[in-house]
Amino acid sequence: MSLTARARFRFMKDMGAPALMAGSRAFMRARGRRRAPGPDTAPPLACGRRLREIMTRHYFLSRYAKGAAPVAWVTSGAPVELLRAFGFYTVYPENHGALCGAKGVGARLCSVAERNGYSQDLCSYARIDLGVALSGNSPAGKLPRPDLLFASNNICQTVAYWYTVLAEQWGVPFLLFDTPFNHAGGPSGADIAYMTSQLEDMLPTLERVSGCKFRMKALEAVLDLSKETAETWGAVLGTMKAVPSPMTIFEAFVHLAPVVSLRGLPVALEYYRVLFEELNQRVARGQGALREERKRLMWDNIAVWYKVRDFSTLFAERGMSFVTATYTNAWAETASDMDAGRPLESIARTYSRVILNNSLGDRLRLMEQLIRDYRVEGLVIHSARSCKPYSVGQYDLKRLLLERLGVPSVVIEADIADERAYSEQQTRTRLEAFFEALES
Amino acid sequence: MDVSKPPSRKEYMTMQKGRGRGLFGVFPGRYPRELFWSHGVLPMEIWDPVLDTSGSGVHLQPTICSIVKAGLELIIQGKCDDLDGFLFPHTCDSIQNLGSMVRDYLDVSKPCLFFYPPKAPYGRASRVFFRRELERLALELEGIYGRPDRDALHNAVVQGREVQKTLAALYAARAEGRLDASNSEFYRVVRLVEYMHPDDMLPAMKEFLDQRTTNHSVRTPCLVLSGVLPNPEGLFPVLDQLGLRVGDDDLLSCGRRLSGETDSGLDALDSLVESILGMPACSTINSPIEERRKQIIRKTGRCSAGGVLFNVIKFCEPDLFYYPYLRESLRKQGIKTLFLENEVNRDISGQTETRIEAFAEMIRRRRE
Ligand code: SF4
Ligand code: SF4
Repeated sequence: MSLTARARFRFMKDMGAPALMAGSRAFMRARGRRRAPGPDTAPPLACGRRLREIMTRHYFLSRYAKGAAPVAWVTSGAPVELLRAFGFYTVYPENHGALCGAKGVGARLCSVAERNGYSQDLCSYARIDLGVALSGNSPAGKLPRPDLLFASNNICQTVAYWYTVLAEQWGVPFLLFDTPFNHAGGPSGADIAYMTSQLEDMLPTLERVSGCKFRMKALEAVLDLSKETAETWGAVLGTMKAVPSPMTIFEAFVHLAPVVSLRGLPVALEYYRVLFEELNQRVARGQGALREERKRLMWDNIAVWYKVRDFSTLFAERGMSFVTATYTNAWAETASDMDAGRPLESIARTYSRVILNNSLGDRLRLMEQLIRDYRVEGLVIHSARSCKPYSVGQYDLKRLLLERLGVPSVVIEADIADERAYSEQQTRTRLEAFFEALES
Repeated sequence: MDVSKPPSRKEYMTMQKGRGRGLFGVFPGRYPRELFWSHGVLPMEIWDPVLDTSGSGVHLQPTICSIVKAGLELIIQGKCDDLDGFLFPHTCDSIQNLGSMVRDYLDVSKPCLFFYPPKAPYGRASRVFFRRELERLALELEGIYGRPDRDALHNAVVQGREVQKTLAALYAARAEGRLDASNSEFYRVVRLVEYMHPDDMLPAMKEFLDQRTTNHSVRTPCLVLSGVLPNPEGLFPVLDQLGLRVGDDDLLSCGRRLSGETDSGLDALDSLVESILGMPACSTINSPIEERRKQIIRKTGRCSAGGVLFNVIKFCEPDLFYYPYLRESLRKQGIKTLFLENEVNRDISGQTETRIEAFAEMIRRRRE
């Protein structure tokens, strides 16, 4: 790490970022840019501004992180707590992919990767990331080059292939946390031993890359923080059990960013405490996210990022409120397993049990539970072209949930961040039929 | 058995069933055949059954590879009645979910077993974990078939070594141009491991090797085949017609499952650990691209191939991710490449044939 880079980073953190935030606030004020609520929705959550600031600051500072702190690119399901204990500055390409998707530049970046030989059939988060790596272009400015790549295949094998390519591209070490898939309800003793031992084996590489000695105490503190953050995020989602729900899942998709990207840092916990408070106030006032909540729905799979705003309006117009999603729930459901008293072992257990690393039987049971807890009346299933682990099995899930709980659903064929895979007409036709079925 | 006309999988299955052998359906790709043999059970690998796969569309998105579709189709069409159960090795996201779907969502009423080979790079824990995984699978098979004879596993491992040795000899002869066999003939024999018992497969392979090995080496223009399977069927007649020999392969179903020699002093399970973890670099186990690149270059060197044909299955993420880097590094070494995207059992189109012809021409010119 260089002294100059550190000084520059410090300066940007203490002066640059606050100045940027102040400037952006003044700009917003001058333009009167607080989004007016639609006729069918409540005013936006006040927390939204704080969230924008946190994430803008995170991406802004990432430009100056190189050389000031060890930089790691991390997958959303990887146990980042281990890296936090070494002071890594972490960048989440999946979160960045979602950002690019939401800004409508996903397809453009994907096509850069495609011109370099990457098939259009690959996950669009990966293509966007490879497109950014190859072109240097990103709506977030510039992502810092990694000193380390850290992935876990608890969400998919795709990330393992993708990061293998990145490791080749950047010539940096790649640590894969291999989590055997749970076909039998949870990890076995042998699985836990295997995963724990992998984490132990990573320590020397992390020490070498970061230049920091490993301190168990530091990891324990991060774990405590991370656990509380994930639990608070769970509590945030829990407020949506209220009728009417104080927030829709489209807002939750956006408020998810800190628990994904900043987990294990105080800022994420602080943020969710404030959000929780605001939502509780709404619940106490009986204020829903929609002016009128007529139906309560569940979303399955990752968001269609370039359509979040449109879908939000479309469903709000009909008084249909999304109150839960398998996706947003994923960062809360295993938090209780984190235990600073048994750090590595509990990391193994927590991260092995995430939804995408569990059998489809477990996923069905989880969805049934969510449907009951959140009083869900209908389900929208996003069959994402990008994501095989999330999507394979969805057609049968649809059938089973109708048979077992009488919950109707619709499948939307789309993609998470590549807007070329989306057909407005086909989706509208399917949704209209779904709305009719729900109302009948 | 006439090795130039071995029984089809269906015929062989019926014969084996008649002899009282258990049959187990196994999805791609790496798993311990020997554990099944030790129970007198035949693992029948399910790669590319010839079927109309339109029925699988009720369960699977159109963007899922044709191997997974064909495998599922076999089950939903009720063509697996002779099988006692299924094994789903953890090969990719699609197979992982397929296995879970078959067990949890479809009413197949047959045991579904799972097998998790650890991902590379292998650390100190990988071997310990993998041995446990083998023990677990062995116990599950015991639950179905009872305890095997005391020496059964040891004998199966010895046979497994012999199979690997024979395959290695076949590949070596092929690479050196000393095997007088067309591409179709060669792969017909190599693919016997996917469904035959070693008692039948070993003599057949050895006979083929003896009969077809020549003292002189023929140096016809040659390529290395990469991808998942030596499929579609129509590919080899095209290559044969063009006088292009597949000198070696980097196929998931073939060359990427050839293990080196294991220490005969190891106990049976450790020997299986070494044999499977010792298999060549593969994207499905997350091997570094560099290892895979070196492996392909070694193979091109060994058979003096003029190019590499990437015959990738559409929607196969493991292969599609590695391809651009491999192509680029091979190009830098002056090795020509051709990329084809195929579906199993779908005929080679006229346009593809033309591209192969152009590629063959390029290889030929390069030799001259
Ligand atoms: S979208 Fe799916 S395939 Fe892509 S990185 Fe996420 S979990 Fe993996
Ligand atoms: S072809 Fe590829 S995606 Fe399909 S089963 Fe084989 S490894 Fe998986």
